[in-house]
Amino acid sequence: MSNAYIDEFPAEARIVRAAFYSSFLALALGGVFGIIQTLHRTDFLRFMDSVDYYTVLTAHGVFLVISFTIFFLVGIFTWAITTSLDRGLEDIRFSWGWYSLMAVGITLTGVAILAGFTDATDISASVLFTFYAPLQAHPMFYLGLVLFVVGTWLAGADWFRSWLAWKAENPDERIPLPTFMVLTTMLMWYIATLGVAVAILAFLLPWSLGWIDTVNPLLTRTLFWFFGHPVVYFWLMPAYMMWYVMLPKISGGKLFSDPLARVVFVLFLVLSVPTGIHHQYLDPGIAEGFKFIAMTNTMFLLLPSLLTAFTVVASMEHGARQRGGEGYLGWLKALPWRDPVFTGMALAGLMFAAAGFSGMINAGMNINYLVHNTFWVVGHFHLTVGTAVALTFMAVTYWFLPQVTGRALWNRSVALGQVVLWFIGMTFMSNAMHRGGLLGIPRRTAEPQYEGFEFEAAVGSVAELDAQIALGGVLLTLSLVLFFANVIGTALNGKSDSLPANGYAETLSGPEDAPLVLDNLKLWTAIAVVLVIFAYTFPLLSIIERGGLFGPEVIPFPLTLESVTTVGIALETAATETVDGATLALVGVIR
Amino acid sequence: MRISKAALLVVIAFTVPILVELRTVLAWVNVELTVLESVTLGVAMILAILVWALWPENGESGHSSTR
Ligand code: HEM
Ligand SMILES: [Cu+2]
Repeated sequence: MSNAYIDEFPAEARIVRAAFYSSFLALALGGVFGIIQTLHRTDFLRFMDSVDYYTVLTAHGVFLVISFTIFFLVGIFTWAITTSLDRGLEDIRFSWGWYSLMAVGITLTGVAILAGFTDATDISASVLFTFYAPLQAHPMFYLGLVLFVVGTWLAGADWFRSWLAWKAENPDERIPLPTFMVLTTMLMWYIATLGVAVAILAFLLPWSLGWIDTVNPLLTRTLFWFFGHPVVYFWLMPAYMMWYVMLPKISGGKLFSDPLARVVFVLFLVLSVPTGIHHQYLDPGIAEGFKFIAMTNTMFLLLPSLLTAFTVVASMEHGARQRGGEGYLGWLKALPWRDPVFTGMALAGLMFAAAGFSGMINAGMNINYLVHNTFWVVGHFHLTVGTAVALTFMAVTYWFLPQVTGRALWNRSVALGQVVLWFIGMTFMSNAMHRGGLLGIPRRTAEPQYEGFEFEAAVGSVAELDAQIALGGVLLTLSLVLFFANVIGTALNGKSDSLPANGYAETLSGPEDAPLVLDNLKLWTAIAVVLVIFAYTFPLLSIIERGGLFGPEVIPFPLTLESVTTVGIALETAATETVDGATLALVGVIR
Repeated sequence: MRISKAALLVVIAFTVPILVELRTVLAWVNVELTVLESVTLGVAMILAILVWALWPENGESGHSSTR
């Protein structure tokens, strides 16, 4: 008999498992679309019509950054709460309830997207994961997203409930670190999702149902980014949690500092939301001053990431020295490179450092103009969510899967090869994407090859960049194949009773060193809300003032036959006048 | 072996970012490598790493240390 998670919490393990498998299904689908669009835009293999490109890209984006990431993180959050509070969920039926809501929601959304490939129905949702108006999706797409998000809200409520129950029994104890991380992340998520909830429920869904005729695109866009920036921290904070509570343990040491980890999560809670406008530096209709405030907040947001880099490396070094590592850099050799869980997370962290540099370029208001909407941005976020998050999740899967299935990992060497291959593939792909972006190659384009115009490469040629992107994409796809081989192989393995015990890293400097105020979640939430109000009230008011709540005034559509003739005459007069004016001007110019 | 097999794998993987970035860096000092030259350089780097890693250390007669 082992002490794995499934032995302690069999019912919860089933939920975590369901969440993981849902997440992997999304990863597989997303990966397929990823390689299709890579080969299509680089013109190596074009078997579909370019008209379908947005459908593919929507599926890639939504499946990967909504379903894959969020299903995975609700799995590890459930693990974190139950393990660190050492108690099961309060009511497992409620937990299945939120899981089912998420599953039903994402299925509706997914079906709406995939239906875009066939003409059999007129359902489609090729609106990309940002669903900017005027791109419009079938109502099912928005409805599914709403259900999915409500599912995550209920999941958060479930975890808060566990914590409150635990607190009632342990009134004088500090919140265990993993629970603290889950709660702060969820508070951030509640604030963030308000933006997208308003955008969908008040505007986009009624618009797509035909209840209202128009929306104000700048307003829905701004509400989207109100959510769209913090959502990146919703993906990242679980990955950070893994770096804080798992990586030190796997390296054979302890977490360097519990207080510092708490500070980092508080900073994320406070600063994640009032920064969304940094995605809109190029949007007309938002005053420069507001953009400047968003930029300032963004630069502050670098701080918690730098603190993380410090703490995580310090913990790794501690672990390596525990394992007998010596010397200034020699300790690196003592790290458990053989372990895919460790190596995957370490490589993910390293690529995140590179992502941080390209992120600083994006964040600078003026230099952003150089890279905005180019392939550079795609290169950037394949390092952040596509590697720092995705590779961390895949790496910890090799630890979690045995814990929640009770079966040993199918093959550790394949797993090691998989994480290293992801690193290599992503290096090729994202390097060339960044460089392509600097030449002005646009993102979200099926055929970025233009007649009579050539992008000029500073080094090498555009053809070489394309080849490098395709090579990277193929290696990444291979890496995914290896990943799924392990997931399936493990599921088919027999039960094992020699699994490592469930647990997470201890700390060198524990919660007793952390000021009590850090655990005051109400205070931090209040500060976060105030900052959001500061950052968003005036921009939103001025957007509504200028463009109207539902867009510019709608010209009433002619309903009667008479009005048609009236409008017709009016249009004709206007047109003749314009033509006359133009002729006059032209004559003037010629003279 | 000087380092474990797994560590060797990671070190070799690291030649990829170095190589890919080196091409851009060298261009600043007006050294433009072709793809073939870059690949050759990469193979040379990997060979050098392999030789360094597999060469028996003094006193250690070829058997690999396992970690
Ligand atoms: C097999 C691995 C992958 C390949 C080959 C790949 C390839 C690509 C390419 C070429 C694009 C740009 C298309 C364009 O702008 O025209 C893209 C966009 C994108 N990818 Fe990936 N990707 C992979 C994995 C991932 C992962 C793991 C994530 C996140 C977890 C991700 C998230 C995204 C997102 C959010 C977009 C932007 C979609 C949009 O512009 O609406 N990708 N991917
Ligand atoms: Cu952002």
